[in-house]
Amino acid sequence: MGRSPSDLAIFIGKRLLQLIPVLVGIILLTFIVTHVAAVDPCARWYPKGSPATIAHCQAQFSAPILTQFWNYFSQLLRGNWGASQLGQPVFPAIIAAVPATLELVLASLFLMIVIGIPLGVIAAQYAGRWGDHLVRVFYLSGWATPTYVGAVIAAVFLAKAIGLPSSGTFSSPPPFPQYTHMSVIDALIAGNIPYTIDALEHLILPASVLAFINMGIATRMTRASMLEVLPLDFVKSARMKGLSNFGVLYKHALRNALITTTTVLGVTAGGLLAGTVVIEEVFAWPGIGEYAFEALGGGGQPNFDGAIAVVVVFAIAVVLANLIADILYGVLDPRVEWR
Amino acid sequence: MTEAVEPVVAIEHLSVDYTVGAGRFQAVSDVSLTIPPGRVVGIVGETGCGKSTLAQAIPRLLPEPPASIGSGKIIFRGTDLVPIPKSRLAMVRGTGIGVIFQEPLNSLNPAFRIYDQVAEAIQIRHWRETGVLRTFQPGPKPFDYSKRPLPTVADTLSKPFLPGGAVQEAAVRKLRTKADFRREVLEYLRLVRINDPETILDLYPHELSGGMRQRIMIAMALSEKPALLIADEPTSALDVTIQAQVLTLMKELIEEVHTSILFISHDLGVVAEIADDLGVMYAGRLVEFGPVARIFEHPRHPYTRSLLRSIPAIYKSDGQLASIPGSVPNLSRLPPGCRFNPRCSLAQDICRRDPPPPLRPIAGPGEDDVHRSACHFAESVEPVA
Repeated sequence: MGRSPSDLAIFIGKRLLQLIPVLVGIILLTFIVTHVAAVDPCARWYPKGSPATIAHCQAQFSAPILTQFWNYFSQLLRGNWGASQLGQPVFPAIIAAVPATLELVLASLFLMIVIGIPLGVIAAQYAGRWGDHLVRVFYLSGWATPTYVGAVIAAVFLAKAIGLPSSGTFSSPPPFPQYTHMSVIDALIAGNIPYTIDALEHLILPASVLAFINMGIATRMTRASMLEVLPLDFVKSARMKGLSNFGVLYKHALRNALITTTTVLGVTAGGLLAGTVVIEEVFAWPGIGEYAFEALGGGGQPNFDGAIAVVVVFAIAVVLANLIADILYGVLDPRVEWR
Repeated sequence: MTEAVEPVVAIEHLSVDYTVGAGRFQAVSDVSLTIPPGRVVGIVGETGCGKSTLAQAIPRLLPEPPASIGSGKIIFRGTDLVPIPKSRLAMVRGTGIGVIFQEPLNSLNPAFRIYDQVAEAIQIRHWRETGVLRTFQPGPKPFDYSKRPLPTVADTLSKPFLPGGAVQEAAVRKLRTKADFRREVLEYLRLVRINDPETILDLYPHELSGGMRQRIMIAMALSEKPALLIADEPTSALDVTIQAQVLTLMKELIEEVHTSILFISHDLGVVAEIADDLGVMYAGRLVEFGPVARIFEHPRHPYTRSLLRSIPAIYKSDGQLASIPGSVPNLSRLPPGCRFNPRCSLAQDICRRDPPPPLRPIAGPGEDDVHRSACHFAESVEPVA
C-alpha cells in the first residue's frame, strides 16, 4: 500500500536528499550577500583593522568568484565560520547557543499546540458567535503585538506583577553538570526538583510571549480546517455513534483538521526564530537570538561573521522544521503514500 | 393489527424550518408518522422534498442553525426528543437511533482504521449496557435495545449470531478484553457478508470500495443494536450492481436483526423491495402513507400515481417515458392551496384555494385507516394501469 516502515524510510530519506540543494542555495545566498553584493566589505568588516588584516582580506576578494565561493563553502563545512572582532571563533559560540534556543522554541511550540489548537477548535465550534470573536481578539492581539513591545511588557511589568524571574535560565548557577544545555532538561536529568521548578519559572515568560505572538496562525488554521471538516459526513456518523460532543470534536474532527495545521506549524518556525532575537535579548536567554542581537551590533560590537552564521543556522532550522512538518503530514494523513 | 404496540418513533406534526440569510422556508411541514416495532417504513420523494431533512431531524442531527424544529414532537420510545438539550442527545444516538448515510465515501473517518471505527461503536454500546456511560432512559421503562419482541430460544439456536437475546445478556455481564472486542468486530463484519474480515481490520477507508464502506457503515450502525435504524438513501451513491448487493444484504439483515427501519429513497423500486409501509413526500409534506403493496396497487394521491407511472417499464415501451409535467416548487415560493396543484391532472378550484386535508383515511369499500392520503380527491385517483 506504500505505507510500510521501509516505505517510510524511503520517504524520509528522499526528503533529506531534497535538503541538499536547498542548503547549497542558502549558502549561495549568504555568499552573494557577503562577497558579491557587499561594497568594500573589508573596510566594513574590520573598521579598526590593521593594514595587514585589511590587505589579507582584500586579497581574498580579488580571487575569481568561483574560487571565493569554494573557499567560503569549504570553510563553512569545516566549521570555520570566522570570528568576532574580539577574536572569538563563531562556530563554537553558535553551537553552544543552539540548545537554549531549541528549548525556548520547543516550549513555545508546546504552548501553541496546547493552547492555540484548542482555541481554534472553540472558534470553529462557535463560528460567528461570541466564543469565535473572543478567540479572534486574543490571537489577533498577539499577532499585532510587536515582539519587543510584548517582550518588554512581559519582562518589566508582568514579571513583577506575578513574581516570575525575567532574566537568564537559572536564579543561581546549577550545581549539576549540564549535559544538554537545556535548563529544564538538565535539571530533570540531575533529578533536582527545586532547580527544575526554577528553570521552568525562567522559561515560562519568554516562551509565553513567543507563543502569544505566533499563536495566531495555529489558531486560525485549526479554525479554518475544522470548519472544512465539521460539515463532512464522517463527523455526522461520529455523532450518530453516540459520542459526546467533545469526542466528536477532539477525536474525530480535530484528528483530520490537524493534518493541515501541522504543515502550517512548520512554517511558523521562521516566525519563532525571528522572535527569539528580541525575546532572548530582553530575557537574557543565552541562545542564538541573543547571539544574533549582539552580532548585529546590539551591544555596540558588530560581529559580521557571527551575523552571517546566524542566518545560516536559522535557515537550516527553518528547512529542518519544514522537513519535520512534511514527514508528520505524511504520517498523520493515511491517504498520503510514502514514496 | 399493531394498535396496542407502542411505536418506536411517533412523529407528530413535525415542521422543520431553515433560515438562510433573511429567507426562511419550511423543508418539512406538519409531518406525522409512526414507526411500529419491527416495521420497515420507506419514504420516497423527489430531491428537495424534505425526506432527508426528516430523516436527520429525528435524531436531531440537523445543524441548528440554520435548521430549527418549528413545531411538533418526535416521540422516541415514549419521550419527546425535541425539548432535549443538545448535550444530552448523544445518549439517544447510536444505541437508540442509528443512521446510515448516503455517501459511504465520506461517512467513515479517513484518518482511522476500520477496526478502530467499528470497535468504537461496540465500545460505546458496551459502556452503555454496563452502565459506564449514561444512556437514555425514556419514561418509567428501562431502555431496551431491541424493538421487536425478543427472539425465542429456537430462534437463538437456529441463528449462530443474533444481536439481542440471552447470549448477549451473558456477554454484557462479563468484562470485555481486547480479544472480545476484536471477535465482536469480526462478527459484525461477517454479519454484513464481508468474507475475510481479518484482512480489512487494519485498512483505512480510502483503501476500500464504496460497497465495502457501506457494508462497514451498516455493520457499525448495527453493532450498537439501535432500536431505530435510519437509512438515508444508503444505496443512491453506489453503482447499480453494488446497489443490488447492498439492498439484498439489507433485506437479509432485516430478517435477522430486529430493528425498526426508516428507509429513505428517491427510488420507488428500491423501497418496494424493502419496506413494509410507504410514505410519499412532496414539497415538505407527507401526501400519502400506507402499506407498500396497497399503494402500488392503488395510489390515493395524484402525485404518487404520477410517480408510479413514471417508473420506466421495459415491456410497455411505446418510446415515451412518462414524466410529471412542471417541476418541484421552490419551498420559499409555494403555490397557494395544495402544493401539487400546478402539476396535478385532478386539480380543481378548491385545490388552488384551500390547503388539502391532513392525511385522512380513504372512504369507500375495502378501505381502512391504514392507507391514508392528503388529497381532496383521494377517492377519484385511479389505479395505475
